[in-house]
Amino acid sequence: MLEEGSKKGGNLRLFPPADRPTLEFHLNTMMQEIAAALLMEFEKWVLQAESSGTILKTPLDSQASLSSEEVIKAKKRRLGRAQKTIGDYCLLAGSPVDANAHYSTALELSRLTGDYFWYAGALEGSVCALLIDRMGQKDSALEEEVRYRYNSVIVNYKKSQDNAQRRELAKEVVELLTTAADGAKSLIDASDRLILYIEIARLYGSLGYHRKAAFFSRQVAQLYLQQENRLAAISAMQVLAMTTKAYHVQSRSSISDNSLHSNGIVSNHADSGKTNHQSAVSLFESQWSTLQMVVLREILLSAVRAGDPLTAWSAAARLLRSYYPLITPAGQNGLANALSNSADRLPPGTRCADPALPFVREDWWAGAAPSGPFIYTPFSKGESNNTKKHELIWIVGEPVEVLVELANPCGFDLRVDSIYLSVHSGNFDAFPVSVSLVPNSSKVITLSGIPTSVGPVSIPGCIVHCFGVITEHLFKEVDNLLLGASQGLVLSDPFRCCGSPKLKNVSVPNISVVPPLPLLVSHVVGGDGAIILYEGEIRDVWIRLANAGTVPIEQAHISLSGKNQDSVISYSSETLKSCLPLRPGAEVTFPVTLRAWQVGLVDADAGAGKTVSGNNTRHSKDGSSPSLLIHYAGPMKTSEETPTNGSTVPPGRRLVVPLQICVLQGLSFVKAQLLSMEFPAHVGESLPKLDDVNNKSTDEHVNSETKMDRLVKIDPFRGSWGLRFLELELSNPTDVVFEINVSVKLENSSSENNHFSDQGATEYVYPKTRIDRDCSARVLVPLEHFKLPVLDDSFFMKDTQLDGNGGRNASFSEKNTKAELNACIKNLISRIKVRWQSGRNSSGELNIKEAIQAALQTSVMDILLPDPLTFGFRLVRDGSESTTTDPDKESASAASKGSVIAHEMTAMEVLMVPKRLFYGRVTPSLSSVLSDIAMEIPPLQQIRHSFCLHFLVPGEYTLLAAAVIDDANDILRARAKTTSASEPIFCRGPPYHVRVLGTA
Amino acid sequence: MATTACFIIVSRNDIPIYEAEVGVAAKREDAAQLHQFILHAALDIVQDLAWTTSAMYLKSVDRFNELMVSVLMLLHDSRNDDGIKSFFQEVHELYIKTLLNPLYLPGSRITSSHFDTKVRALARKYL
Repeated sequence: MLEEGSKKGGNLRLFPPADRPTLEFHLNTMMQEIAAALLMEFEKWVLQAESSGTILKTPLDSQASLSSEEVIKAKKRRLGRAQKTIGDYCLLAGSPVDANAHYSTALELSRLTGDYFWYAGALEGSVCALLIDRMGQKDSALEEEVRYRYNSVIVNYKKSQDNAQRRELAKEVVELLTTAADGAKSLIDASDRLILYIEIARLYGSLGYHRKAAFFSRQVAQLYLQQENRLAAISAMQVLAMTTKAYHVQSRSSISDNSLHSNGIVSNHADSGKTNHQSAVSLFESQWSTLQMVVLREILLSAVRAGDPLTAWSAAARLLRSYYPLITPAGQNGLANALSNSADRLPPGTRCADPALPFVREDWWAGAAPSGPFIYTPFSKGESNNTKKHELIWIVGEPVEVLVELANPCGFDLRVDSIYLSVHSGNFDAFPVSVSLVPNSSKVITLSGIPTSVGPVSIPGCIVHCFGVITEHLFKEVDNLLLGASQGLVLSDPFRCCGSPKLKNVSVPNISVVPPLPLLVSHVVGGDGAIILYEGEIRDVWIRLANAGTVPIEQAHISLSGKNQDSVISYSSETLKSCLPLRPGAEVTFPVTLRAWQVGLVDADAGAGKTVSGNNTRHSKDGSSPSLLIHYAGPMKTSEETPTNGSTVPPGRRLVVPLQICVLQGLSFVKAQLLSMEFPAHVGESLPKLDDVNNKSTDEHVNSETKMDRLVKIDPFRGSWGLRFLELELSNPTDVVFEINVSVKLENSSSENNHFSDQGATEYVYPKTRIDRDCSARVLVPLEHFKLPVLDDSFFMKDTQLDGNGGRNASFSEKNTKAELNACIKNLISRIKVRWQSGRNSSGELNIKEAIQAALQTSVMDILLPDPLTFGFRLVRDGSESTTTDPDKESASAASKGSVIAHEMTAMEVLMVPKRLFYGRVTPSLSSVLSDIAMEIPPLQQIRHSFCLHFLVPGEYTLLAAAVIDDANDILRARAKTTSASEPIFCRGPPYHVRVLGTA
Repeated sequence: MATTACFIIVSRNDIPIYEAEVGVAAKREDAAQLHQFILHAALDIVQDLAWTTSAMYLKSVDRFNELMVSVLMLLHDSRNDDGIKSFFQEVHELYIKTLLNPLYLPGSRITSSHFDTKVRALARKYL
């Protein structure tokens, strides 16, 4: 086109610079334009050809000159041929839609003119157009359509090769034969009529009129049957056998015969061009069911008379199998009798190509056999999605099971002597089973076998020994039947009329046999029954795995699945891995640590209700237990020998070890509350170690006494404490005894105080509490340790960092404080562990975090924040201080030192130590004795206030120091739960005891 | 009114999708079978004839012992061509109506009792 004419430049197309796809698009468009131009040109030529008088002719056309009456016909023919040619051009130009339009016109015209050759050509073209139109698609419907159309293409090509005058002649022959058949009436002698009919049938046969031939053949057979002797019956049988093809009731053996000797005996049938296409629709032999039944019945009758039991059996089988819905139960019984009678005359083990009953269909996946091997390939997930067909892998030497469904839609009991899988690939040993079916019933049975060698396995059907004859039942035939039934082409679906549910299309999987694989068998040590645990119980379960296969296990991986996966605390996959490769017969045992989950709230209520009567509810709902998944595989080496793709990974296996955990309700938590109590200290000569109590409590625990002692034996002179306890009330609804063990971890304190950093995670274990069955108990958790100056350093560091220098009095941001407090509570709670033990080997942990949190939330300030002021009283003797007294000595002489004589002026000191947290104006007041001594405590200092007391009456006194803080900051106010800034905060110290001796 | 008339509609794949004995003659089992046999055999000729004409009505195409076969597939013994033609036209209309039924799968059996009643009424009217 570029060279055409002078305006070369005008024909040059310039594409803007672009990437490859855009360029391709441009080129594509241009090519389409060129094609369209070419097409238009061609079309013009073709249409002009008509006007110039050119006749499109082929050598196959009749050479006779066109007579005047044939001119119109010839014109039509030419137009049809032209249309076909245009269609071809359209196809070449890449427009299947246009091509199809032209082809259909051509088809219409050439059909009218009897132009077989061009008709076939146009039809072929239309198939091409269809295929191009649906390029890329591939479905069975399309294939079916193409196959059907090509069949008629072939038929028409064959026709066109016939003599063009054949049809005219045929018409005359038919006329002749019809007249001849009419003449048969006048023939009195039956044998003459017989001969006439034979001739007519033969002639029709050679003419290609099979149905006509079959019709007269049947007439012949009827005449034979009227003679009632054995030879005539044999002849009738043979004649009828020839008609089976036209009536679509062939025996399967004759079909295979035909295919074997198609060029031989039955050649006149084969080349006639009217053989029915083998499309799926034609497989449904329901055409003309009345005729088919009559023909089969006549064959059966003649075969019985002729004494040919095999033919009789085959005819009866076909009749029963295909037309049972049309046969009355009595008739069905008669056929069943005919089958058994024929079988009696047959040698045992006779095979017949035509299956009788039952109907067999495969159920492969519907309810896969539980014991069947589940095989996985770890990397097949992403790959094999493009293949729709299911891949099934069987293993040499391991029995497999296939589910098949049998149906007996007839009205008699059906006894199947044996049925087993028919395997054509020869690498499978099938095991026969026998089964009996009551009338109108279906049954799913399991057929098993063992693959014997590596390679693909094809199972086209089952071998059935029934009614004394062995037949092969092909699954595909039943599938076709069911397909036909679903399309209304077949009378009845044998499975549905037996009440069997309709199955979805089960695709026959591609089966291949692989070399032996290892086989793991799991076993829970101590019984495979449910593992009964109380709530929160922690227990090790040992799982023993044994390799029951014949190949060592070289790879294994353990993972978890199912619900409550967090109840498996740990499993030792290292133990398993360290045992690899696991030889056949070898065993490995590895531990799995379990912690029982909480029984659900509703369940717990129900359980609590029942505990009154002493019943334990067991909570072992199915599916709530986790399971271990063990994926494993054999050696890699063997896989290379199998003829699979290089990319495929050798199949491995998956073992599911369900951990059947049955959780019983254990200790139940009733409530948690906070208790506080105060131990008054004695006033002595030395000041209590206030700092220790409040700031460095751990010092004492470690250095001087054990914490147990410290709790129980309180040194009365050391100072007074405000003790707080967390009281947990627990009840035991079970019938065993629980022992509660509370422990507290102390780790934060060490990080606060540098010089005690060595004691990392000290754990304090409080004495055990025993809770008998059906009892409840309270467990006290001292919280004293937690009133550590958690806030002192970390809080202030933050605060100063945030607010710079003036952060002393700056208010904490509310949010920040809350978050920090919550974190503190969580931290605190996480350090309290309530463990329990029951019996010898069950122990666990109570999960009461939420409960504690709820209990603490209300009074969290009191616990976590230290008192703003601590007070300490001291006797001052002779004005000298004795703070350096040796502690041992001090405690030894406590009784004398700590006493005060009545009627004496006693000099005392009160020591006020402010926490660093709270700076402000402090107004301490000593109750009833002193009041309103306003003083300011400077930062990081303590104040000593001396005073004198004069006791008049001997006895026990309690001294109480209190102070009013004027200028409190936010934390302080938050602790005191006041809101207004102006309100003074009252602060009370712990009580101190003073024993006043003397006589009144 | 014809004494014998067996009417059959045959689908594309040589499957009879509708069969009816519409004659007034007493029904005999073997006769009905014979009629179907004849009709089946006549299909050969019909198939050939269909190539020569575009007409839907093919008149009498075959006969056996005074039983004649017309297309759509009617076996009859009457000579009333016009009546048969009208019968075919009406039945064809009925068949088209059936085809329009979205629940009817082309090529499957016609099981509609309505269709059956109508066909028999038409047979009484024309044959």
